[in-house]
Amino acid sequence: MKRSTLYPTLVALFLCIALPLISAGKTGEAAPEFTATASNGKTVRLSDFRGKFVVLEWHNNGCPYVGKHYNSGNMQKLQKEWTSRGVVWLTILSSAPGKQGYVTASEENSYLAKEQAAPTAALLDPTGLIGHLYDAKTSPQMVVINPQGVVIYDGAIDNKPTTDLEDVPGATNYVSLALEQAIAGKQVQTPTTRPYGCSVKYSDATH
Amino acid sequence: MHHKRMRGRHPNSHFSRAPTLGFAVLLCVANAQAAGTPIPHGTLELIAENQWIAPGRDFYLGLHFQLEKGWHIYWMNPGDSGEPPRVKWQLPAGLTAGAMEWPTPRRLGTPTIVDYGYEDEVTLLVPMHADASSASQKSAQLGAEVRVLVCREICVPGKAQLSLTLPVKSQAPAPAARTSNLFSAAHKLLPQPAPRNWKFSVDDSKDTLVLTANLGHQITQAVFIPFAESQIDNAAPQKLLPAATGFRLTLRKSDQLRKPIERLKGVLVLSAGRAYLVDAPLSNPVSAKNAYGIGIYAAQSLKEGHQR
Repeated sequence: MKRSTLYPTLVALFLCIALPLISAGKTGEAAPEFTATASNGKTVRLSDFRGKFVVLEWHNNGCPYVGKHYNSGNMQKLQKEWTSRGVVWLTILSSAPGKQGYVTASEENSYLAKEQAAPTAALLDPTGLIGHLYDAKTSPQMVVINPQGVVIYDGAIDNKPTTDLEDVPGATNYVSLALEQAIAGKQVQTPTTRPYGCSVKYSDATH
Repeated sequence: MHHKRMRGRHPNSHFSRAPTLGFAVLLCVANAQAAGTPIPHGTLELIAENQWIAPGRDFYLGLHFQLEKGWHIYWMNPGDSGEPPRVKWQLPAGLTAGAMEWPTPRRLGTPTIVDYGYEDEVTLLVPMHADASSASQKSAQLGAEVRVLVCREICVPGKAQLSLTLPVKSQAPAPAARTSNLFSAAHKLLPQPAPRNWKFSVDDSKDTLVLTANLGHQITQAVFIPFAESQIDNAAPQKLLPAATGFRLTLRKSDQLRKPIERLKGVLVLSAGRAYLVDAPLSNPVSAKNAYGIGIYAAQSLKEGHQR
């Protein structure tokens, strides 16, 4: 085999073997690094926020489960509360073009203004790269990353997997619980739950 | 916001949109959709197995869903997304509703997200009990408030208030002709108890649960659908290894499974849609890993060897 073909072959072979072994961002593991363009045009790297707690919120503006948390003002309240306490909040938009929840930067900015949402940034992920890195299955799936860059929570936003607005007040919010416990230096009691909601509308989504 | 207007399903919408089309059209529509209440992208009807309620006897009610092409609702374990229909019963004294019986669902999914649910049409069965005391009434009005999530690529939540009035008579109940096909079809689609001589065991290895089945004959097609959420990775391919007397099925554990499980319960779907209930104990509760499992496989490969 000529040297010119050997190298690409080896690279391809390496990727074939290594890619499936790169595990998604799971509780207890290092949060996979990503770079994304935010709706405000800025480039955001996860590693920019090392030293801070980071919340990832998978979003789809047409999903009724997401609607429950925005129409009730719950998500905005969480965003405001936690960002005011120094937590970085990244809303992630992993819907593929043509699918429900896909938005352009300006559409997202109008949405954020209309909803009075207050994430640190809303990240455009139309290829689903970040979504797949974290194996995000639903909106609103939530991930909490600690200042050392380790995933300390991955799952549902709360314990009421419904679309009913009246279920918001009595729910146990797993994101707040994880942040409160971690900030107090305690072990996160519920580090992972089944995320509920609409399937993330990746390019292969059919349901 | 995303509530699409019902198309051609709701008798009232036909009536209001085209009042001049007249009585004939209304009758046709009414006949086709006997008493279906509109839900997003479909209809839902509360149906009874029998023409009347006989005090002291058990009977079935059904929730009959009819969905537009491509839309689905969810099984008791919805899988990676969605949620099952929920019912709040409004029943007269003396009538009690038992736990819903769910026909075998379909695996609906993509390489990354798998749900369990029903497309087109399904009847969820509800076992009912009528106390002897319910004899004092001439008829019974049964009500159900159903919340249901209907999805295709997108999801639309719906709520329907259903009602059904049935006579109460002391004589043995007669089946209702109109619904008998729906009930017999639904009963056929329920997963069956596994035959007694079938043996199941589950081995807990690091990232997988291996379901070993000894059914006395070779199985080349099997899919396991779990009752509980967060036990297995729904979207992971299930690796089937046929054996002379059954099979071994390797299921990837769910990332949300943080504690060892004691039993694996669910539905096993074999070829031609034959579905059986599986309730298998873990044969190696972690500390005794492999000790028992290897024994089974060794015995099986011996048998396979003999038959070849």
